[in-house]
Amino acid sequence: MPYQIDSLHPQTRRHLFGQCGIGLGSLALSKLLGSNQCHADSEIPTAHNHRTPLEPRSTHFPAKAKRVIFLFMAGGPSQLDLFDYKPELAVRSGQPIPASFVEGKRFAFMDSSHRVNLLGSTRNFSQHGNSGGWVSDLLPHTGGIVDELCILKACTTDLFNHAPAKLLMNSGTGQFGRPSMGAWLTYGIGSESSDLPGFVVLQSGPRGPRGGAVLWGSGILPSAYQGVPLRNKGEPILNLTSPAQVDSARQRQVVNAVRDLNLRHLIATGDEEIATRISAYEMAYRMQTSAPELMDISGESKSTLDLYGIQDIRESTYARNCLLARRLIERGVRFVQLYHTNWDHHGGPTENLETHLPQVCNNVDQSSAALVLDLKRRGLLDDTIVIWGGEFGRTPMGEVRESTGRNHHIDAFTMWVAGGGFRGGLCYGQTDEFGFGPVANPVHVRDLHATLLHQLGLDHQRLSVRFQGLDYRLTGVNHARVVHDLLT
Amino acid sequence: MRSIFILTLLATLFSQAIAQDLPLSTISFHRDILPILASNCFPCHGFDIKSRQAGLRLDTPEGAGALLDTGVRAIVPGSLESSELIRRITISDDSLSMPPSDSGKSLSDAQRKMLADWIASGARYEKHWAFIAPAEHVVPVVPHLDHPIDRFIGDAQAKTSLSISNQASPQTLLRRVSLDLIGLPPTISEIDAFIIATQSDPKRAYEQLVDRLLASEHYGERWGRWWLDMARYADSNGYSIDAPREIWQYRDWVVSAINRDLPFDQFTIEQIAGDLLPNATQEQKIATGFHRNTQINEEGGIDKEQFRMESVFDRVATTGSVWLGLSIGCAQCHDHKFDPITQHEYYRFFAFLNNQIEPKLQVVDSGVNLAQVTADWKSSEKDVLEFVLSRSTQLSHWETTLNDDARKLFSQEALAAITIAADKRTPEHKRVLFMVGLGSGDQTFRALNERYLEFRERVKNGPTTLVLEEMAVPRITTVLIGGSFTRPSEPVTPGTPSVLHPLEHSPEHQGKFPNRLDLAQWIMSDLNPLTARVIVNRVWQQYFGRGLVETDNDFGLMGSLPTHPELLDWLAISFQRHDWSLKSLHRMIVTSKTYQQSSVETLGHLSKDPHNYFLTRQKRLRLDAEIVRDVALTASGQLVATLGGPPVFPPVPQGAMRQGQVERIWTASQGPDRYRRGLYTFVYRASPPPSLNVFDAPDGFSTCTRRNRSNTPLQALTLLNDTTFVEFAYALEKIINRDGLEIAFRRCTSRDASQSELDILRSLDALSAARVLLNLDESVTRE
Repeated sequence: MPYQIDSLHPQTRRHLFGQCGIGLGSLALSKLLGSNQCHADSEIPTAHNHRTPLEPRSTHFPAKAKRVIFLFMAGGPSQLDLFDYKPELAVRSGQPIPASFVEGKRFAFMDSSHRVNLLGSTRNFSQHGNSGGWVSDLLPHTGGIVDELCILKACTTDLFNHAPAKLLMNSGTGQFGRPSMGAWLTYGIGSESSDLPGFVVLQSGPRGPRGGAVLWGSGILPSAYQGVPLRNKGEPILNLTSPAQVDSARQRQVVNAVRDLNLRHLIATGDEEIATRISAYEMAYRMQTSAPELMDISGESKSTLDLYGIQDIRESTYARNCLLARRLIERGVRFVQLYHTNWDHHGGPTENLETHLPQVCNNVDQSSAALVLDLKRRGLLDDTIVIWGGEFGRTPMGEVRESTGRNHHIDAFTMWVAGGGFRGGLCYGQTDEFGFGPVANPVHVRDLHATLLHQLGLDHQRLSVRFQGLDYRLTGVNHARVVHDLLT
Repeated sequence: MRSIFILTLLATLFSQAIAQDLPLSTISFHRDILPILASNCFPCHGFDIKSRQAGLRLDTPEGAGALLDTGVRAIVPGSLESSELIRRITISDDSLSMPPSDSGKSLSDAQRKMLADWIASGARYEKHWAFIAPAEHVVPVVPHLDHPIDRFIGDAQAKTSLSISNQASPQTLLRRVSLDLIGLPPTISEIDAFIIATQSDPKRAYEQLVDRLLASEHYGERWGRWWLDMARYADSNGYSIDAPREIWQYRDWVVSAINRDLPFDQFTIEQIAGDLLPNATQEQKIATGFHRNTQINEEGGIDKEQFRMESVFDRVATTGSVWLGLSIGCAQCHDHKFDPITQHEYYRFFAFLNNQIEPKLQVVDSGVNLAQVTADWKSSEKDVLEFVLSRSTQLSHWETTLNDDARKLFSQEALAAITIAADKRTPEHKRVLFMVGLGSGDQTFRALNERYLEFRERVKNGPTTLVLEEMAVPRITTVLIGGSFTRPSEPVTPGTPSVLHPLEHSPEHQGKFPNRLDLAQWIMSDLNPLTARVIVNRVWQQYFGRGLVETDNDFGLMGSLPTHPELLDWLAISFQRHDWSLKSLHRMIVTSKTYQQSSVETLGHLSKDPHNYFLTRQKRLRLDAEIVRDVALTASGQLVATLGGPPVFPPVPQGAMRQGQVERIWTASQGPDRYRRGLYTFVYRASPPPSLNVFDAPDGFSTCTRRNRSNTPLQALTLLNDTTFVEFAYALEKIINRDGLEIAFRRCTSRDASQSELDILRSLDALSAARVLLNLDESVTRE
């Protein structure tokens, strides 16, 4: 439980309710309207019990989903070798792409010399489940759950370099300094966890995602809303562990004394920020216990570990992160994001389609599918949205360097969404014969954002923050729509 | 529409202060009407022609009264019946009602009535206040108040039967003004001396204190950091690779300029166009680093021109926000939706900043410790060469895969190395080959190699800093459709927005296009209605937690109105008349009673002035990230107060530098550099130092004119458990054991502890007590 203001020293209560003559609701309200200019639209900031930044808040309309797990495949997976089956591409492999496709288009690695010839996939594709969704042999477990998945085959984005495109996928714009989706969400509706952060980030793979901390930043919103990385090595959250020689009892003594002194000062000054700080220390102290408990998966059954493909529970892998994601949302965390690198298969010595794409698929396939199944059997999938995808896709043209790869591609790529009121077994959107561009039902990143917020009970037009005279939104000023076709 | 409600509410509260010459019942266009129109109507019926619907614009009286295609007029002054606007905002038919139901906007009944009253009374438009030059105002006469600021503030309070709070206690005041002016708390002897001095002559004691603080070299550090936020200063290149860069000479230039009280007009001109001044000095060139604090994308596969353009976009937006308080950047893709700035004008402004090359300047007499740099270079060389030698097998294998195409992309250095027989190559040759081949995808190598190259260059060429330099032949600037660098359209010449004062050509430039120097001088022109107001407002904001104009970087139509417009103008004019002296401005503000009053909130405050718009008390403000560190360093007696030099590496938690693509090497400084002020901590943009980041230090990605002040559990964990703060706690424990708890308490809070506070602390062991003191809300707050 958050620190209960009711249990404060009676004198404080007298001060707050008597001497000040006002309730905490208006205290909090005065904070929202006063020193910090951030506020969302009507209902949200006026919730009268808004005491701490992450406290749950009401939605604009009833929500279908309560939380999100975003499996971010950093680098941009090749949809043409995984989901978007294009026999014609294989037939024409090696031939130049017709000029009509590429005129006026720009790609990353403009100087690369082998970018115009089509490259067919060498993978075997087959249809799966009752819905008959196409998935290649690189993702057999994903193939096994297609009836749960809403597969978006014609996703589009605007930016073709990694860091800006990742920013766009997270914050709706390639510009730095805007809040990421998890920050928007915890700002808008808070978190149901009182002893873990509301927005948590996990990472796996050979390196960190391009862009770094800004991908889970809070931008113009207070840092209370930024994503907190849970680390795989050492302590799970920075500075979570009490100093050496300070045991739990001694730490508690310190936290209690800080609270008692802060409380006296709250009475003396009447500054409600001190009440917020008292709550923050209580939560910090609880996190010291709850985060290690969260990370300790030794209590999970063998069948669960097998489902995810976890062999060594201490080993830091994507599979372990998937299981942690489930444990996080079970504990009320609002937004969990997993980054897995590296999907950037250009054809360099360590990043080609022949060897490295199968490896990275193998890293994520079983456990991504396991997460969906595990959520389902626990009754959590109905109100949890799982998203799988990268910042963009890859070109139908091959990039032949030391080995084979594909370039970044923004006109059409595949993502999938499961749970949270998205229609399972749906394949939405269609691309042309080479998989170059959409021919039906494109879904722009902004549309995806609008749809996600909709499922979470938020109107993307109304979830806004006034900053320096302008209203900022996740979906920005460009057109964005809720894609109702995707929803049950 | 909460914001409108609040604006209206505030506007009502402020009606007297704002519109003294108008009877209360009169509608003010700026206060009452413009916010409604700007927020609800201008997005589709405003200045931006491209998004304009139905050919209707409501931002000018001509547009509002024009005969539309449908044969109606939106506004007919004095006639509600003939005004289509009234019909459309009151109609119940969803397909006709305005604003459209799917826009997410709606009007309240009060707003509808306000619009109707305004139209009925003649629909009078007024020019936006911020585009009219500050006016001379007579300082009001208020009994018992002589300071001009107090008289303006007191006058507004008196009209609403409010009054200022009592002066804060000497201890609180001393700590407040010390933290505000130099970013450091007072020492015990300073506290004692000040208390004694105030007993005989409080006013004189305080003025002497202010003079001493303004003369301190730490003043430049505190207010230098204020400026560095706006300059988006950091020590790395940003984007995904985020290699280190060297530009700290610019940081030191700022600190020194602030300490010298370089007049703000000169301060501005040197940063925007120091290189173009006649016989520009090295210092003036270093100053142009202001606009080199943009990111550089080192990702593979990028179009360099695209990211050069991104830097220029950022420079335009930053110049607009910092000096003009306008969101000019909004007109990059389209005409501004609210302010009268066309996209064409945007690119004319852009043209000033599009004609530069971006060199490194070698700095002579930098005062850098060469022995230290050489030692760093040697050790980083050893690290990278050892790494390369451990990868010899992979390197040989890679060589066998090379073809002629690949060799074409080699550097000279690499071509030379590859022609040497493999067994004759030195480790350095191997490093060069590794760098052009396998190294680009090897993050460990990159981190080691980039660090090595950085030190090597510093030893070889001496310290460098990033500067701007004008091109002999300017680039051709065009409007870019949709703000995309791939879609150039008509060419433009350099120019400034027509809504502001005219651009004057310096005589020697006659016949040539105006350049950056002309731009800088235009910004600092006496005719500019904005800059002096914007800067005094931003200084004010530091002292009271909020500016007189709340939207400190939007003085445009969507920005808030000034709560005390006459005071704002008076301060702006006074700033200009005192030769743009920031020190004079600071002295002016901190010697006012308004500044010196208590920050304690009482029942009266919360009922009569709940948001403190009347400044009936001071405000408790959580310290800036760097100062949280500085206070703990000072309290624990660890501070090494030397100024300037290359950034330093205090300890960070293990793994903290792993947030970006490349895990950066962070070898914690030993010796004095471990205990320097937060301002000097090395900042990687992609992996910011956690203890600064968690307290809302800006990220350096774009200009920050006002920091957030959040209050979070991660801050608690930092102060409780971060190695650095634990080190401070051990040092403070020693002080407790040596000097007693009372002294330790005063070192943290600058005041005497009460008996009950001491009782709580005495129940703990000394280390715990030290940790408690460093964690107090009061220790990280300026009251």
